[in-house]
Amino acid sequence: MYVELKDVNKEFKGFRALNDVSFSIEKGKLVGLLGPSGSGKTTILRTLAGLVHPDSGDIWIDGKRVNDVPASKRGIGFVFQNYALFRYMTVFDNVAFGLTVEKKDKKFIKQRVNELINLVGLEGLQDRYPHQLSGGQRQRVAFARALAPNPHLLLLDEPFAAIDAKIRKELRLWLRETINSLGITSIFVTHDQDEAVEVADEIVIVNGGRIEQKGNPADIYKSPATPFAARFIGESLVLDRHETLHGFETYSGYDQAVIRPELIQITKHGKQPILHASEDGIVEDVFFRGSLIEVHVNVKGMRLIGHRSPEEEPLLPGEKVSVLIYRLYLYNEDKVHLAENVRLKDENTVFI
Amino acid sequence: MGQAKWVSSKRLRKKNRVIPGFGLSMGITISMLSLIVLIPLLSIFVVLSGVGPADFWKAISDPQAVAAYRVSLICALAAALVNALFGTILAWILVRYRFPGRRILDGLIELPFALPTAVAGIALTTLYSDNGWIGKLLAGIGIKVAYTPIGITIALIFIGIPFVVRAIQPVLEKLDGQYEEAATMLGASGWQTFRRVVFPEIRPALLTGFGLAFARGLGEYGSVIFIAGNIPYETQIVPLIIMSKLEQFNYGAATSIALVMIVFSFLTLFAINFIQSRLNHAAKGAE
Amino acid sequence: MNLANPAEASNRIQEKPRGSGKAAKSILIGLGVAFILIMLVLPLITVCVYALKQGWEVFSGAITDPYAIKALQLTLLATVVAVVCNTIFGLFASWAISKFHFRGKQFLTTLIDIPFAISPIIAGLVFILVFGRIGWAYDFLQAYDLKVVFAVPGIILATIFVTFPFVARELIPLMQAQGNDEEEAAALMGANWWTIYRKVTLPHIKWGLLYGVILCTARALGEFGAVSVVSGHLRGKTNTLPLHIEILFNEFQLTAAFAVSSILVVTAIIILILRNIVEFKGRKEESEHVR
Repeated sequence: MYVELKDVNKEFKGFRALNDVSFSIEKGKLVGLLGPSGSGKTTILRTLAGLVHPDSGDIWIDGKRVNDVPASKRGIGFVFQNYALFRYMTVFDNVAFGLTVEKKDKKFIKQRVNELINLVGLEGLQDRYPHQLSGGQRQRVAFARALAPNPHLLLLDEPFAAIDAKIRKELRLWLRETINSLGITSIFVTHDQDEAVEVADEIVIVNGGRIEQKGNPADIYKSPATPFAARFIGESLVLDRHETLHGFETYSGYDQAVIRPELIQITKHGKQPILHASEDGIVEDVFFRGSLIEVHVNVKGMRLIGHRSPEEEPLLPGEKVSVLIYRLYLYNEDKVHLAENVRLKDENTVFI
Repeated sequence: MGQAKWVSSKRLRKKNRVIPGFGLSMGITISMLSLIVLIPLLSIFVVLSGVGPADFWKAISDPQAVAAYRVSLICALAAALVNALFGTILAWILVRYRFPGRRILDGLIELPFALPTAVAGIALTTLYSDNGWIGKLLAGIGIKVAYTPIGITIALIFIGIPFVVRAIQPVLEKLDGQYEEAATMLGASGWQTFRRVVFPEIRPALLTGFGLAFARGLGEYGSVIFIAGNIPYETQIVPLIIMSKLEQFNYGAATSIALVMIVFSFLTLFAINFIQSRLNHAAKGAE
Repeated sequence: MNLANPAEASNRIQEKPRGSGKAAKSILIGLGVAFILIMLVLPLITVCVYALKQGWEVFSGAITDPYAIKALQLTLLATVVAVVCNTIFGLFASWAISKFHFRGKQFLTTLIDIPFAISPIIAGLVFILVFGRIGWAYDFLQAYDLKVVFAVPGIILATIFVTFPFVARELIPLMQAQGNDEEEAAALMGANWWTIYRKVTLPHIKWGLLYGVILCTARALGEFGAVSVVSGHLRGKTNTLPLHIEILFNEFQLTAAFAVSSILVVTAIIILILRNIVEFKGRKEESEHVR
């Protein structure tokens, strides 16, 4: 393993920021640390960088235990959340800083900096100051600056947090492509699951100073390993009386259930072919979301959310509908179980 | 063992700081502070330890000293009050109004900081003495300024005005005009708006400025001594008493009175901080 | 409300005061200007008028008097030493206080402010208590035939003491407001302390530093009380310019006293102008780079 944390603990004035954190990362992977704010994800990143020192546990990078290696000697590139660009230096000087500190040859520095400026697409902006750049351009400078000394590990703290929603999507793709083409092992922190899913090869879910789950985005999405992961990923809705729903009566011993819009099919009343497996519901609200329509339905006093295509016949609030639930994630304290609608299985019906 | 442990904990602390230069900058800071400020100040206590309680009490309760405390306190208080009033007016017109000469006026506020106190002292004395430009006018209506507590107060007003203006100005600049607009929309008159909306906002800054002007007034020497005239029981201020004790080589008495003065300045600053935190507390509680 | 023209709304403060507002404005400006004229400007004019009262000859005679020149030299020496010393202190102290967390930080900041809180007379007194006849360092000084009190070193020390916090106090809030991100980023890339200070921090604080130096200079040039205590008033030896003025005034040489004062008045005005320029430039640059 290229990067490895073993039983890392950290306490800040009585607050347990990291609780036996262990995980490892393969060389060349682009990994997202995903979690709500205050979950400890940034602390993990700063611990790796050497900006925070763990109370106990080991940190290994490239086969070397780095606990006692100072931050500047770990060979890490760090992109700060607000970029921390040197405000009184030009783009060129910002990118060149790490190399100047290493007392590299002037000609080499010039060549390397130009190379990086081209890589991040900021040709012609070498002599600008940070305040003369847009948010996206600043991020590119921060990225180039972190890469300049040729680090073997790149860490990015909420790299898209300070950028307008519009350019954010574009930058995500750009960052992913650039990192993949460089092949540098990278870890970024985010609280936005869309961002994590879209950018990362692998996601590590962090909550309350613990690692909840690690895996590729599709796996985590399909089979969350912990109750927290089930609730946190996707547009999850928590139900507390799942055993009253058709097809799920036999699942007992679980406290709560998580359901997502894509696990529900909402049809106009009377148009549902598999009636005995579905529920009746009343439409509470309908929201137009552009590419899809979000429908809130009341089923047995519980609110479910489903999606419909704008191409389908529109539903109106107060209308009676059929709701078919394919699957639920059931969980108690520590277990998650993927529950299929048993009435669908009996019938062996094919559905889309 | 003990040493090894100490070394390792020291190393641990050192590596825990990412930004370099803590040891060096802290070392220089503490050394310079100790050499120039702390050690000399501590010598006050070294000297006092040799004075003895009876002599200490005799020095600080000497009627001439007590009269000096009174003169210093009353004059500093009067000057700080005048400055609080005019400082608020000045800060207000500098921030809220545009008029020709505003920038020059703004620059002049700092004059008492830039002008050597001795120069201010002789200029004020000449101006307010019986044949000076203002002194002549006031003598005509029977008011004597130079060599009276009024003169001391005038010198302290001169020295204290920038403290109040510079404390309030930034607060007024930040204060959103929308508050006042809202109050005006609700039908408040100009004066009501100021008293109920603006004044509570600037009150903490006003208090700070008042406190600083007062503290400075208690200790001020250069601008006051010329106009004060050093008449015992009448215009002798505390710094002058200390000075005259020193000239008599009565170091014990000088140091004793100096300690009273230090304690008093710190009590003033402490009281201001205390009121300040109470005000903040009240404001938070109201929210 | 939505009908309000946005351009009009943004002009709200400097707007047209109506009726009573206009009267209040004139009264307040009148009061403020009168206060400044009588309290601050009139003394300045007094100095200039009295300085030239007996003609140019007397004026130039007073300021070229050897004692005046000696006093000026000593004042400049004390000022330069104090400014250099307090600038060094300010640079290190602001770094230690703003870039690190440690216990007792608030206490340390308070200690740095002490010279502001106590009377200049006491500042002078403490050096007499250390180095004077009753001081604990007196025997040591005697043994090496050194003189501090009633000598030049005492004057320099007293000047350093009273101006001690000036530079540090300007820099600390500035550096705290700026945060540590840039320094952390530079440190991560392996830059040493000196490189970070010079290349990353200094550009942020240069105007604040200059501002602190100007204030420190002003105070050092004019310091009277503390210097008066330690000087012993030896003409030509331990007299600074303000002390020289005191002697002249007390000897009723009014014109000479004011002539020498006028040198300091001119300096004060130059300092005020510089101060305003530096403040303006600093604000402008900060607002540019912060965006």
